Amino acid sequence: MKKYQRAIALLMIALVALPVFAGGGKEAAATAAGTPDDPVTIDLWFGASMTEAGMIPEDWVGYDIIRNELGIDLKLTMLPSSESDQDVKVQAAGAGNALPDLFQVRRPVLVNLVNQGLVADVTDCFDKMPVRTAQQYDEASKQNTTIDGRIYGFASPGMIVRNEGLLVRKDWLDNLGLEVPTTTEEFLEVARAFTFDDPDGNGIDDTYGYGAFVETDANLKGYPGSRLWPIMGAFGVEGLWCFDAPNQGLNIYKPEFYDFMVFLKEMCDEGIIDPNWLSYKKDDFRAAWKQGRFGMMYEQNAAYAAEANYAPFDKNFPDGEWQIIDAITGPEGHAAIGAYDMNYRIYAVSQKAVDAGKLDKICELLEWMSGDEGYYLLGWGQEGVNYVLDENGIPVAGDLGDNAFTGSKGQVYTQLRNMVFYNSDVELTSRYPTYTCAVSGKEMSALKALREMQGMKWTNAIGSSTLPTPSADVQRFYDQSLAEFLSGAKELTPENWAAFIDQFNKIGGKVWNDEGVAQLEAEGLVRQ
Amino acid sequence: MSRKQQHLKPQMQNRKVKLTAADHAFNVIVNIFMVVILIAIILPLWSTITLSFRPVDFLGSNLDGMFLPPWKWSTAAYESLLGNDGFLMAFINSFKILIGGVVCALFLTIPMAYVLSVQSLPGRKIINMIVIIPYVFNVGMIPAYLLVKDIGLINHLPAVFLPGAISTYNCIIMRQFFVGIPNELKESARIDGCTELQVLFRIVLPLSKAIVMTIGLYYGVSFWNDFFNAMLYLNDSYLNPLPILLRNILIGSGMNENLDVAAFANAPINAIKAASVFMSAIPMVIAYPFIQKYFTKGTLLGSVKG
Repeated sequence: MKKYQRAIALLMIALVALPVFAGGGKEAAATAAGTPDDPVTIDLWFGASMTEAGMIPEDWVGYDIIRNELGIDLKLTMLPSSESDQDVKVQAAGAGNALPDLFQVRRPVLVNLVNQGLVADVTDCFDKMPVRTAQQYDEASKQNTTIDGRIYGFASPGMIVRNEGLLVRKDWLDNLGLEVPTTTEEFLEVARAFTFDDPDGNGIDDTYGYGAFVETDANLKGYPGSRLWPIMGAFGVEGLWCFDAPNQGLNIYKPEFYDFMVFLKEMCDEGIIDPNWLSYKKDDFRAAWKQGRFGMMYEQNAAYAAEANYAPFDKNFPDGEWQIIDAITGPEGHAAIGAYDMNYRIYAVSQKAVDAGKLDKICELLEWMSGDEGYYLLGWGQEGVNYVLDENGIPVAGDLGDNAFTGSKGQVYTQLRNMVFYNSDVELTSRYPTYTCAVSGKEMSALKALREMQGMKWTNAIGSSTLPTPSADVQRFYDQSLAEFLSGAKELTPENWAAFIDQFNKIGGKVWNDEGVAQLEAEGLVRQ
Repeated sequence: MSRKQQHLKPQMQNRKVKLTAADHAFNVIVNIFMVVILIAIILPLWSTITLSFRPVDFLGSNLDGMFLPPWKWSTAAYESLLGNDGFLMAFINSFKILIGGVVCALFLTIPMAYVLSVQSLPGRKIINMIVIIPYVFNVGMIPAYLLVKDIGLINHLPAVFLPGAISTYNCIIMRQFFVGIPNELKESARIDGCTELQVLFRIVLPLSKAIVMTIGLYYGVSFWNDFFNAMLYLNDSYLNPLPILLRNILIGSGMNENLDVAAFANAPINAIKAASVFMSAIPMVIAYPFIQKYFTKGTLLGSVKG
C-alpha cells in the first residue's frame, strides 16, 4: 500500500506542478537559410476547398516541390468550415500570440488583430508577386484590406458573383401560347396561367406560377430574401441596403418596399406562388422544381444546370426546358435580377512571421502558387494522376476514376485550390463542363447558364458585407413582422405598415439604419 | 389470492376497484399524452434514420421519404462514410479522447470529491469555496487557451479532455454521494487501521459503483461530443475527432452543394449528414442501456443527501 500511496502522491505533485512549466519551451529562432537542406518553416492556416473530404495527405508531391524549389517547409492546418469557428480559432491564437505565419481571416477579425499589432503591413509586398498580383489583387481587393492607408492582407476573389437568375419554363410558355414576361403585369399573367391553365397538360391542378423559399442574411439579403429579388428588383428594393442617394439606408424605409409587399401579398392571396414558399427549405424548393411544381423561379447557375442537379428534372421532364430571362420591369421602370456584393478570401501575415524574417519567403510561396506549376498543382493536382488536359487545354477528370480531382481520393489533393483560383476561364470551364443529358439528350452547361445570368441587369451593392448587422431582436422583429404581413396574420394596410416601421425604429432599427448610412457615407459608397 | 393482493385489507381483497368515468377519462388523457410524447421522440429519430437510407435518385418530400419501403432503401451513405479514411480516423480519435478523458476525469474527480466529503478536513469550507468559485465565474476561453498553449498541449489529444478533466458540477454530485455513505463504516475502517486511501478504495468506492458509472457517463458524453476544445486546440487534421468531421460535413457539404465534385458523391448529401449523425450517436446509444441501471440511483442519491 505504501508503494501505491507514493505513486499517487508523486502523480498528484506532478499534476499540481504542471502550471510551473507554463512558460513552455523557447521557440526556435528563425535562422534557417531557406534552402532545401535548411528550409524555412511556414505555418499556413488555410480555408480548405472541401473540409469534409479531409486533409491533404502527407505524401503530397507539393511538399517536396515547395521544399526543393523554394526552400520552404510548409506546415498546413485546415481551418474549420464554419466562418464563426474560424474566427474563434484565429482570435484565440491571436490572444495567445500564437498566430501562424500566414492565415486566412475575415475582415472584422483582421481589423481587431491589426489594432493589436499582430498582423503585418504588406503594402510593399505586391511588387514582389507580379503574376499573383495581376491575377488576384486589383484596387478593389487592396481596398478591402486597407486600414488607415496601409494594406494588411492579401484579398483574393471569393465566390463567383451574379451567378443566379430568373428562370421560366419555356415548354409551359409554348404549351399555353405565352411570351416571356417583361413587366410585372405580364409576370402576373404568366403566373396565373401557369397556376390555373394546366401548363403541363396532365389534367391535374398541381402547378403554380412562381416558386421560392426564404433565403436571407443580415448583410445583403434582407427578408423575404434573394429568391424574391426579381420581383423586388421591379420595385427597386432588391437587397437589404440602398446605395443610391437620397434614399441611402435600409430599403425597408422606401415607399416602394410597401408596394412590393402589396404585390407579393396579392400573389400569395391569388395562390399563384407556391403556398409552401414560406416553409420550404432549400432542398424542398429544389425537389419541387425538379418535380414540375412551378414554372418560374430564381436559382443559382450550377444548382440549376450542373449535371447531377439537372439529371432528376431531365428524367422527369425530358421535354421540359428552363429559359433564363432578364429582369422584369416594374411600374416605375425599375428592373433588376438582384443585388451583388464582392467577397474576398483574405490571407494575412502575422507580425511574428515578419519579425522572424519570413515575409520574403511567404511572398515567394504565394507567387509560386500563382505560377503555372503551383496553379495547376494546387487547383487540380498532378497531371496524369489527378487530371488530364483536354484538347482545349482544360483540366478534366478523364478516365482517372477515384484519383481524379473530382474523385473521392483525388479531391483531397486540391484542398488548397481556393488559394490559387480566381474564377478564370480555365477554372470555370473545368468546373462546369458541357455535358449531354442522359434522358433527353440535350446539351447543357452550367458555365453557359452562368454567363447568361451574369449578363442580366444587376444592382451593385458592393460593400454590403462590411455594413453593420442588427441585433438578434431587431432581426427577429424585422423578419417576423414581414412574414406576418405575407401570411395574413397581420393585415397589410398603410396604417399597419406605418405602425410596424414605428415599432421597428423604437426597438433599434433606426440606430441600425443610422449606423449603416454613416458608414456608407464615410466609405464613399453612396451613389449620387 | 395473488401475491399482489396480500397487502390489502381483508375487505378489499378479491374486490375489483371500480373506476369512475372521471378515472377512465383521466387514463385516456394520460395515455394520449404519453403517445404524443412517444411520437415526438420517435418522429425525428425515424426521420433521421430513413433520411440516412435515402437513395440518390429519390425525389420527394421528407414525409414521402419517411414512408419509403425498406426494400428501396440505400446503404450508400453508410458505405461512403465507412469507406472514407477521414471518418474512420475521426472515429478512432474520438475513442481515444473518450477513453483517455473518462479515465483521467474519474481518476481526478474521485479523490477530489472524497476529500471534500470528509467532514473533519481542515478548512473544508474554504476549499469547497475555492472549488465552486471557478464554476460560477468561468475563467474564459483566452486564459484557458494560454494555459494549454504554455504547457505544450496544443495539437495533442489530451488538450481536448485535460482542461475539463474535473467538472465542478460532477465533483459536487459525487461528493454528496460520498457524504451519504454512513460515517460509521468509514470510522470502523479507520479504527481497523485503514489509511484514508484505503478507506476510499476499499470501503467508499465499492459502495459507489452507481455514482462512478453515472459520472463516468456524464464525462463520456461530454468528451464524445466535445467540438469546441478540439477545434481550438488541435491544428493537425489527422487528430480531429468525430464532432469536427461531423460539423465539416454538415457545413462544408452545404457550401459545396452546387458543385459536381463532392466528398461523398455516391449518396445524397442529406443522407450523408443523417448517417454521420446517426453513426456518431451509436456508441452512446449502446452505452446507455448498460449504465442505465446505475443512473437513477446515482443521481438521485446525490441530490437528496447533503
